[in-house]
Amino acid sequence: MHAPLDATPLLELDGLTVGIGGDAAPILNAVTCTLRRNEILGIVGETGAGKSLLTKAVLGLVPEGLRVLGGDVRFDGCSVFDRRNEDLRDLRGGKIGLIGTNAKALLDPVAPVGRQIARVLRAHARVGESEAQSRAIALLREVGITDPERRAKAYPHELSGGMAQRVVIAMALVTDPAVLLADDATLGLDATVQAQVLDMLVQRCRRRGLGVMLVTHDLGIVRNCCDRIAVMREGELIEIENVDAFLRGPRQAYSRSLLEAAKARPTPSIARHTASERPLLQAEKLVKIYGGPFTHQVRALDGVDFSIRPRETLALVGESGSGKTTAGQCVLRLTNPTSGRILFDGEDVTDLSAQKFKPWRRRIQMVFQEPYVALNPRWRVRDLIGESFRLLDPMSRGERERRISALLDAVHLPSSLASAFPHELSAGEQKRIGIARALATDPDLVIFDEPTTALDIRVRAQIIDLIRDLQSRRGMSALFITHDLNSVRSLAHNVAVMLHGRIVEYRSAEDIFATPREAYTRKLLDAELPVEDPPGRATNVSEAIAV
Amino acid sequence: MPLAATWHRLPRFVRIILTRLGMIVPQMLGVTLVTFLLVRLLPGDPARLILGNFATDDSIKALKQHLGLDQSLPVQMERYLIAVLHGDLGMSPFTSNPVLTDLAQRAPATLELIGYAMILTVIAAVSLAVISVVRPGGIVDVVARIYGLVAGAIPDFWVALLLVFFLFHILGWAPAPFGRIDAMINAPPTITGFLTIDSVIAGDRTAFWSAASRLVLPVLTIAIVNTGALMKMAQTSFRGAYQSEFVNHMRLCGVPERRIIRSALRNALPPIISQTSFITGFLLGAAVLVETIFAWGGLGQYAVQAVVNSDYAAIQGFVLVASAFVLVVYSVADILYELADPRIQV
Amino acid sequence: MNVAKLSAFLLRRPGALIGLALLLVQIVAILFAPYIASFSPTDADPLSSTLPPGGEHLFGTDELGMDIFSRVVFATRVNLLISFTAVFVSLAIGVPIGVVIGFYRGFLSTVVLRIFDFLQSFPIFVLGMALVAVLGQEIWSVAIVLTLLFVPMFARLVRAEVLSQRERPFIAAARCAGANDLQIMFQHILPNAMTPVIVQISIAIGMAILLTAGLSFIGAGVRMPSPEWGLMVSNGAQQMILGVWWIALFPGIAIVLSVLCFALLADALRDLTDPRLQGDRRARTA
Repeated sequence: MHAPLDATPLLELDGLTVGIGGDAAPILNAVTCTLRRNEILGIVGETGAGKSLLTKAVLGLVPEGLRVLGGDVRFDGCSVFDRRNEDLRDLRGGKIGLIGTNAKALLDPVAPVGRQIARVLRAHARVGESEAQSRAIALLREVGITDPERRAKAYPHELSGGMAQRVVIAMALVTDPAVLLADDATLGLDATVQAQVLDMLVQRCRRRGLGVMLVTHDLGIVRNCCDRIAVMREGELIEIENVDAFLRGPRQAYSRSLLEAAKARPTPSIARHTASERPLLQAEKLVKIYGGPFTHQVRALDGVDFSIRPRETLALVGESGSGKTTAGQCVLRLTNPTSGRILFDGEDVTDLSAQKFKPWRRRIQMVFQEPYVALNPRWRVRDLIGESFRLLDPMSRGERERRISALLDAVHLPSSLASAFPHELSAGEQKRIGIARALATDPDLVIFDEPTTALDIRVRAQIIDLIRDLQSRRGMSALFITHDLNSVRSLAHNVAVMLHGRIVEYRSAEDIFATPREAYTRKLLDAELPVEDPPGRATNVSEAIAV
Repeated sequence: MPLAATWHRLPRFVRIILTRLGMIVPQMLGVTLVTFLLVRLLPGDPARLILGNFATDDSIKALKQHLGLDQSLPVQMERYLIAVLHGDLGMSPFTSNPVLTDLAQRAPATLELIGYAMILTVIAAVSLAVISVVRPGGIVDVVARIYGLVAGAIPDFWVALLLVFFLFHILGWAPAPFGRIDAMINAPPTITGFLTIDSVIAGDRTAFWSAASRLVLPVLTIAIVNTGALMKMAQTSFRGAYQSEFVNHMRLCGVPERRIIRSALRNALPPIISQTSFITGFLLGAAVLVETIFAWGGLGQYAVQAVVNSDYAAIQGFVLVASAFVLVVYSVADILYELADPRIQV
Repeated sequence: MNVAKLSAFLLRRPGALIGLALLLVQIVAILFAPYIASFSPTDADPLSSTLPPGGEHLFGTDELGMDIFSRVVFATRVNLLISFTAVFVSLAIGVPIGVVIGFYRGFLSTVVLRIFDFLQSFPIFVLGMALVAVLGQEIWSVAIVLTLLFVPMFARLVRAEVLSQRERPFIAAARCAGANDLQIMFQHILPNAMTPVIVQISIAIGMAILLTAGLSFIGAGVRMPSPEWGLMVSNGAQQMILGVWWIALFPGIAIVLSVLCFALLADALRDLTDPRLQGDRRARTA
């Protein structure tokens, strides 16, 4: 499946070591690898493995406070660190292009994007402004932006995330570089957009014969785009291997644990309900319209029905703007639906006043998407978890302490963390605190808003295991709001696919994954980049391109 | 909705300016009414003040009737509004001039002072901020840090006195702190009221140098005191932009440093614009201390005199003009702010 | 934060140490003014008018023959009393207003905001003159003028913070835990909104000292013979041109040091109150 590889290395990292110096452990430790022409090398690792620093060091630009302590980076046989200032500038963005994460933050917010692309070109080549502009527009067309003349005049905030990412790719390609460094280039994009952008990027690079370093934390992307994979851990490159061989069986234990964590788990079976069992939660014809009569109206929810029975898990799946988060907020009464009803345990709670709804709060809880921002930064873990005890069931101090450490235990955290502040915790720990907080009232239904986004592979797997474990032990129902199909496979019994505020397909998880009926569902499933072939389906970006 | 469609077809800067102009009218109306009420809260009977303590009750009553002070508040307010619309701000019993004339005579003095001071302040503050952020730990950075701390702590009237003492009394470099132009030199014919500009128009070299040298100390005083605050704001704003991801990305794309600084500064502009407008508005009232020391004869001194004399008409007139000035400054700043930041919806 | 950590914090910041030292000097001046000063601050002595510094009169005397050193020391009481009163009264009024108008964004909040706009854009010295004319030339009039200026400042500051906090997910999370509006406003939002306010308190005290001095300078503040720094500078203003520098110089230095003290303390507080900048950290970059 690989395109023929050029033998001479384009980029050579030779024992590259970067750190603060002195006794401190280096952040990049003796990294050695090569990149050839027409090759896509995937660099995989968890947060703090030094992946991003690697891309910066290759460009000879390490962040302030860090130094290159040893080793060398050679581009076309010449050391990057030897070069004088002007040569280096020519290398950056000229010979070596860089595509970063979170494209919107990488673009100058007050300059039209066409001019920004032209700016990079003019930094490296003697061309006039209008010539540079027309080259930028041509490139915007090439990276798949429709109506590039108009888009070139747009400011970054007027573009979608996917379009901004394409602009950043165009910025990297405009100088015709020989090497492309892509640092988590599709992080945070919707799955279908991610697939399109990756597809386009891989095609361009193959056509131009570039050497590409694709830094990512997603093994699915590596499997579907890369020729070779390099695994990084704590600043060291521990394994470098052809992708096929790696997927058959990594040599290192750490790599194996990564690969294992990336695979989906089978959905836990629940005792099948009798049909007569009453649904715990029913949403009927929910409509939510944002905006007043004089402003632009958005129908965030447009007649949504779903129901969840006791011990059952429903996943609301969709891309950003599909209305899945709004649906969750309506159930929690964080926002009120414009019309429609919400029944909880058979009772209509739609129009209850805040005071009347208070008793229901303890039965419906939510785990918020971004764990850090959902925890008051000035409160200790103890107070965060204990807040609902204080507000809903008054109890003695000792009783509260006991319950708090029981909850910490339930989410596999030591009770010593009770006096920590949120910023002292890792992302995984914060997520667990968020879950413990939701469990505090012993709820019947927990809403999980994107429980697995922005987490490292192994942490994600741990959180999924934790949720599965809690559900089977506590017998609670769950509503999953997510775009991560992998976690849906591992957790949900039923799946509702949402698009533009409507549910387009609503069936059991097995059925929907095996035989998707709607075109949009199929598109979503196709955009998934799994590390293993799900039975019955075999699409693969790089194969499609190789053909 | 054809109107809305036409509106959205207009270029963005036209929409920004039209929106702001539309807002000025009601704001000005509000300011006029509040000014009227506020000044009425001042104690003292204006009629008695004008006529002095020995006036008879009858003559006071007659004067009250003449001034309309015997009418109800809404009627007075209506009269006042109509008069203001006709450009009639009343007479000042102490200068015996129409208030509008008094203000028109004095406004250029204050505006000239504030204008030059703000130009100097902005240039100094932005340059210091940019250099100190681009070269942290350099001489400029250290100087800027110490200055930033101390500048906010120095009272302007004291700086003015020190400058006078050292540059006039000890060194004799600066002219005496007595007015806008040397008493022995004829002022150029009034066109704009700004002596520096008028003397250039008149081609009067001597008058220009005299006026310009008289400006040095007060302008320097205001700039020394206000540059610190603006510099700190500019530093924060510019540092935020200069250390942001997009600037780093530009660097990784090999864009030259000069170009990067320009882009970062362009991004850092909005808060600098607001702060500049805020200082400018504040100075109109605050420059009175400096005006007093340099016997500048500007608006601030006039206002203080009016308060001392309980001169209703003059106070009202000053507050109205001052508010209008602040309103114009803020509106211009808002327009610039919105032009500088394309993310703001218009 | 315990004493050991606090002293470690201070040692790393010479600015904070200088600020504390200056504060200490002022406290001593306030408490022990009669023992430090060798002359009465308000007694004129025509025989020793306009004496240069040195000898019996450390900082010299003014036109009326009052001892400048004694007046500078005693003025600490007047200036800080006015400033602290104005700032803390403004704080008590402004902060709750700010929280409420930030949390509820209705018509009323807009009206309050417009009133603040007007108050703040009003020329401060003219407002000061006018109010002092109404209320009489008492130090309390000065405090009221400053309060009028600072209430909008604190309220706006808090409002801006509340606006940025109220949409944050932990507020929604608190709602889920069963908290009502009041609990959310004062338990969740306010503590997170206080950091800039605490810093601003110190800055405002500095501003208050400057403004008090400015008001007295143009004759809208404290009256002779009360010792007040701005008034003393004003007394020396005319003499300065003639080369009599000591009358205005020393009270001016007192103003600079006093304001500088609170600016330095503000800087230190900014670092101290931010939980993300504190010393003991096991923050793992996650």
